[in-house]
Formats: sequence, C-alpha cells, structure tokens
Amino acid sequence: MKPNFLEIIDINKKFGNINALKNVFLNVSKGEVICIIGPSGCGKSTLLRTVNWLTPPDSGKVILKGEIIGSDTGKMTFEQNNSLNAFRARIGMVFQQFNVWPHLNALENVVRAQIVVRKIMRDEAEKKAIKILNEVGLKDKIDEWPDNLSGGQKQRLAIARSLAMDPILMLLDEPTSALDPELIGEVLSVLRNLVNEGMTMLIVTHELGFASRFGDKIVFMDAGEIIESGPPNTILKSPKTERLKLFLEKLSLTSL
Amino acid sequence: MLEYQIFFDYFPMILLGFWLTLKIVVCAIALGIPLGLILALGRRSNFIPISFFATSFIELFRNTPFIIQVFLFYYVLPFYGLRLSAEYVGILALAAFGSAYFAEIIRAGIDAIPKGQLESARAIGMTDWQSMKNIILPQTVSIVLPPLTNQTLTLIKESAILSTITVHELTMTGLMVQGETFRPFEVFIMVALLYWALNETIASIMRRIEKRYSRNRKQNKIVRSKIDIIKSSGFSR
Amino acid sequence: MKFDISYIFDALPRLLEGALITLQVAILGFCFSIILATFITIVKTSFNSRIFNGFIAFYISFIRGTPLLVQIFLIYYVLPVFGLNLAPFPAGILAITLNSAAFVIEILRGGLASVPKGQFEAAKSLGISGYALWWKIILPQTFITSIPPLVNEFTMVLKATALLSVITVVELMRVSQQIYSANYHPVEVLSATFIIYFLMCFVVSRSSVFLEQRFKVKRS
Ligand SMILES: Nc1ncnc2c1ncn2[C@@H]1O[C@H](COP(=O)(O)OP(=O)(O)O)[C@@H](O)[C@H]1O
Ligand SMILES: [Mg+2]
Repeated sequence: MKPNFLEIIDINKKFGNINALKNVFLNVSKGEVICIIGPSGCGKSTLLRTVNWLTPPDSGKVILKGEIIGSDTGKMTFEQNNSLNAFRARIGMVFQQFNVWPHLNALENVVRAQIVVRKIMRDEAEKKAIKILNEVGLKDKIDEWPDNLSGGQKQRLAIARSLAMDPILMLLDEPTSALDPELIGEVLSVLRNLVNEGMTMLIVTHELGFASRFGDKIVFMDAGEIIESGPPNTILKSPKTERLKLFLEKLSLTSL
Repeated sequence: MLEYQIFFDYFPMILLGFWLTLKIVVCAIALGIPLGLILALGRRSNFIPISFFATSFIELFRNTPFIIQVFLFYYVLPFYGLRLSAEYVGILALAAFGSAYFAEIIRAGIDAIPKGQLESARAIGMTDWQSMKNIILPQTVSIVLPPLTNQTLTLIKESAILSTITVHELTMTGLMVQGETFRPFEVFIMVALLYWALNETIASIMRRIEKRYSRNRKQNKIVRSKIDIIKSSGFSR
Repeated sequence: MKFDISYIFDALPRLLEGALITLQVAILGFCFSIILATFITIVKTSFNSRIFNGFIAFYISFIRGTPLLVQIFLIYYVLPVFGLNLAPFPAGILAITLNSAAFVIEILRGGLASVPKGQFEAAKSLGISGYALWWKIILPQTFITSIPPLVNEFTMVLKATALLSVITVVELMRVSQQIYSANYHPVEVLSATFIIYFLMCFVVSRSSVFLEQRFKVKRS
C-alpha cells in the first residue's frame, strides 16, 4: 500500500483540563486540499500547530512522507531539533494575524528565511522573492514596509514568505478571518492558484464557498474531536450528525 | 568670595578625571550590554539552572547599593587570586551593575514583541537563536533604546562611587583638588557642572534621535505603549 | 586565605544594628522627601508661577544630572563655607531628602495627571477648596496611584543611604567597613552586608503589590 503523504496519528492535547485535541487521526494524500471547519475553540488552530510541532501534543505522531516530524514528547535532542527545523522549512504556515515582520520591508520578509534557513545566496533569494511577490500581486510593493500595507496585502506577503521556502505542505489558519470583506477576494484568489498548482493544504476556513469548490475534503471538528469528514458535497449538503447540522445552520444564518 | 583662579589652575586636572570617567563608562557599557543580553536570554531560558543563575544575578545586583558591589569586587577578586588595578575593578563592577539593569530592559523589550513574531519565525524553520537574531532582537532595539540611554546616564552618575576605591575619575580628582586647595565650593561646582553637562548632552541627543525616529518610521501602537511602560516602570533613575 | 564563615557570625549582631540605622536614615529621609515634594507639588499646581516652576525644573534637572555622591560632598563640604556646620548625620539626611524629593516630585506629577481634571472643578463648584481639596480629594488619589513608583523610590533611597558611609554616617555600610578594617576579613563581612542589603531591598520592592492591593480594597 502506498503510504499517505501526511499522517496524523492519534493526537491528544490538553491545556489544563481543556481537551483541545482528542484522538485525532487524519490522512492526507499529495495534492489534497483539506478544509477544517468547526466552532470557535474546538481545536482547529491547535491541530494545525501540532502538525509542525509548534504546539507539541501530549501524545501522538505526525508523519510526513514516511518520516516522523515528531512523536512522543519530553525534551528533544539536538538532532531531532535540527530535523524538526528542516521539516518546518518545508511546511508553510499562514496565520490569521499575518505575523509579517514589521522591521523588514516586503522583499526582505520573503528573502530572510531563504538565506537564514536554507542558506541560499542573497542574489538568488531576491530573484526568487521578486518572482513570487509578482505572483501574489505585490510587484509594486517590493520596497514597502509592512505597516504601510493593507490587511489583504499583508496576508499575501505572508503567503509569499512561505512559498519562497518551496513548501510541500501549507497550513493556513483562518487566512481571511481578520480581513475586511472587500479584501477577502484577493487572498482567496492567491489560494485558488495554489490549489490549481497542486499544493497540499490544510486550511481552517469559514469560507464555505471556497471550501466546496476547491476542497477535496471537509473536516468538521467539535470539542477537540473530528466529528465528520468527507467530500464537500456530502458534508455540506447531507450532514449526518446533529452537531454539524447545527453548526452549518448557524454559519448560514450569520452569512445571510 | 569665589576664587576664580582655582578654575583656571585646576581645570586641566579636573578634565583629566572627566576623561577617565568617560573611558570607564564607555568600557562598562561595551561590556555591560552584551552581558545584559546574555542575562536576559538566560532568564528566559527553559533550562532551569541557567534561568536561576541569571535571575539571581539580576536580582542581587539590582537590589543592593552599587557602593557595596564595588567594595566586594575590590576585595573578592584578589581573594580569588585576580589582581587588577582599581580602574579595571571599577569597570568590571560598573559593567556587572549595569548589566543587571540592561538585562531587565532587554527582557521587557523582548516581551513587548507580539508572540506571533516568534511563532512565524519558528514555523518557517528558524532555530531559537536565528529567530532572536533576525526577528525579535531587531524589533527590540527601537523599544529599548530610550531606557538603555537612561541607564547609561545612571552609569555615568554611579561611576562617581569608584572614587571610593581610589579610581582617579572625576569625583576623585575633585576630592584631591579640594584637599589641596580647601575650596570645596569651586571644586565641587566644577565637578557637578561637568557631570550635568555630559548628562544633558546625551539626554538631548537621545531626545532628538527619538523624535526623528518616530517621525520617519511608523511604529505600531502596541510597541509604542510598551515603550511607555518600560519607561515608567522605574528601571533606573 | 579561606572563606571563614565564623567571621560572618561574629559580625552579624553589629551588622544588624547597622541595618537598623540604615532603615532609620532611609525612612527619615524618605518622609522628609515626601513632605517636601508634596509641598512643592501643591505650590506648583496651585500658583502656576513661572519663576517658581522654573526654579523647580532647574533643581530637578541638577539633581537628576549629577551623582548623589557629589551632591553629598556639596552639602557636607560646602555648607560650612557659608557658615552652616552640619554633623554627618543631619547632612546625610538633608542630602538624601533633597535628592529623593526631585524624583518624588516627578512621581507625584505622574500620579496627579491620572486624577481626572473634572475633580478640581467639581470640588470647586461644591465650595471645597484649598486645604480640603488637596488633603481630602486630590492627594489620596495621587498617592494611591503612585504606590508602585514610590515603593521603587524607597528602595532607591535605601540603597542611597550606603553612600553616607563616605561622610562617616555610621550606618550598615560604615559598620561593615569598621568591622573588616579591624578583623581584616573584608570578603566575609562584605558578603554578609551585601546579603543584608539585598534582603531589605528585595522585601521592600516586593511589598509594592501587597500595598497596592490593600489600599485599593480600602478605597472601594
Ligand atoms: N496556549 C494555550 N493555552 C491554554 N489554552 C489554549 C491554548 N491554546 C488553545 N487553548 C484552548 O484550546 C482550545 C482550542 O483552541 P484553538 O485550537 O485555538 O481553537 P480554534 O482555533 O478552533 O478556535 C480552546 O479552548 C482554547 O482556549
Ligand atoms: Mg483558531
């Protein structure tokens, strides 16, 4: 049997006595786009953050292309840390709050990690950065400071920063939730291009339109558990559980 | 009643003391800021022996008078076989004293950076130190510059205490001239004015830099308010 | 030579006596400084006189811009030139007071700024003025909001008193010097002194939170 591209195996995470994640299993094949939905506080962010070990889980394993990103917990050795950083370099992460680096201009935001983490020469890194900034529509903002960019531009910059690392997997945590409605489209269109290029993605989103058109699978979480998952049509049109029904009703009410 | 002649006769000698004060403070800062950075990072470390040592060092030096630190250095170093001239002992003591305060300023500056900054750096594959060096510390610099300058002014003033271990800096020179001339008023006014002038000069340069800096570059609001917090939390006087 | 802990035990009783004097000097100096600073603050705010405010600004700048040690020498050596002979103890208290007041004025300015402007007007419209206005309404609020920086200032004063050893005020630092110049064991004696200073300052600085809570509760 062909191993899965990304395997999330029996992840558990507690914060105090809150079960942020409970027995979470998830298999992702290459090129798949997984949309994660669920009420606020149900553990969506925590799930993404365990994938790149930003939040180490209490137990469970994450395996990418047959290699263990992390398993068990406790102190990691120096070598494990190194390999973790190498994994992270190939896993792009995009945050709700952008987290662009305000002391670096747009170009340098995209260049810095290439040089520091991947040891690429500056010339080459800049060439690549310009190409990618071009692709996300920030061609004329190359010298701009992040503080002077709009939310949508900041988020596209953050995406460009990840793309420059040649990611094989992208984790996006509500990439459009902090944006004014009229700016959501420009970010979604960048994401659409990524989908078309065959990027493997885990994306937490409440944009059901986007999820149903571009998602291969929708995962519904509640209280730290995966309740239902399946193709968008099944999940959105004929929810099996009461919880999902309730959630979808609420969501469509608020978006009316 | 003022004896003006004293100003003319002894000013060169006083200036020499002033020059030594400058040299000592510059050396103490050059040593103290890197040490402060190490202590700040040490205090934030997850490795308990390191954070315990850094915290103890910082709290011990912040909660004791500088004069006793000076005397301790003066007697303890030779006790363990390290014989240095009074100037070097003074520089070391001043650097150690300063570093405890520098450390707290730097730590507060690091804490003022939103958490997402470190997370995005770690998520893209930077090590802890790479994240510090490329993402966190550069953003910290503009926040900590005003309080660091304040602390520098404090070091200039505290350096007067090195006169008690016979370092021939400005205050010591003043005491010597006073012993020769028995004209304390003229002498100490001269000494005080030099300290004062140095202080005001540095403070006004700093104010100008700060103004220009905040005009040229927009700083986000969180960081601005954090600067005020650091300034008002009594790190130095 | 080895670190001989017995010298610490021998010195401890005298050191603790010295610590008591240090506390007395610090409390005395700090109280005077608060009184002086409060007085200056009231005059500053009430009369808004250019000359007075200018003089105070000058005084604050001088105190903040020069070393306390030099200020101590100025008072100890220079006042006699003008015919005012002070013994070391009162001279020391005077130096500490004048020094600390400059910082307390700044602290009170901050505290005063947090008292809503409307309160002055409201009080006036109720016919409350002068003494009652300050004593009953403005000062309590100013001091309560200023507790943390005032506590910090007190630790500064506590540390500053060690400098008075230079003009032979017999406080902790001076006692310590007297002991080790007799027994020739400065390392042990100074270490003990260092720890005593640390304990005093540490306890005081940690009391800030406690004091704040106590007064906040009392007010509501
Ligand atoms: N660092 C943390 N410390 C304590 N509790 C946390 C932390 N991060 C998340 N949680 C809790 O874990 C639960 C899941 O959080 P999160 O994954 O952010 O939810 P979501 O992204 O789905 O809104 C929530 O109850 C949240 O309060
Ligand atoms: Mg979330």
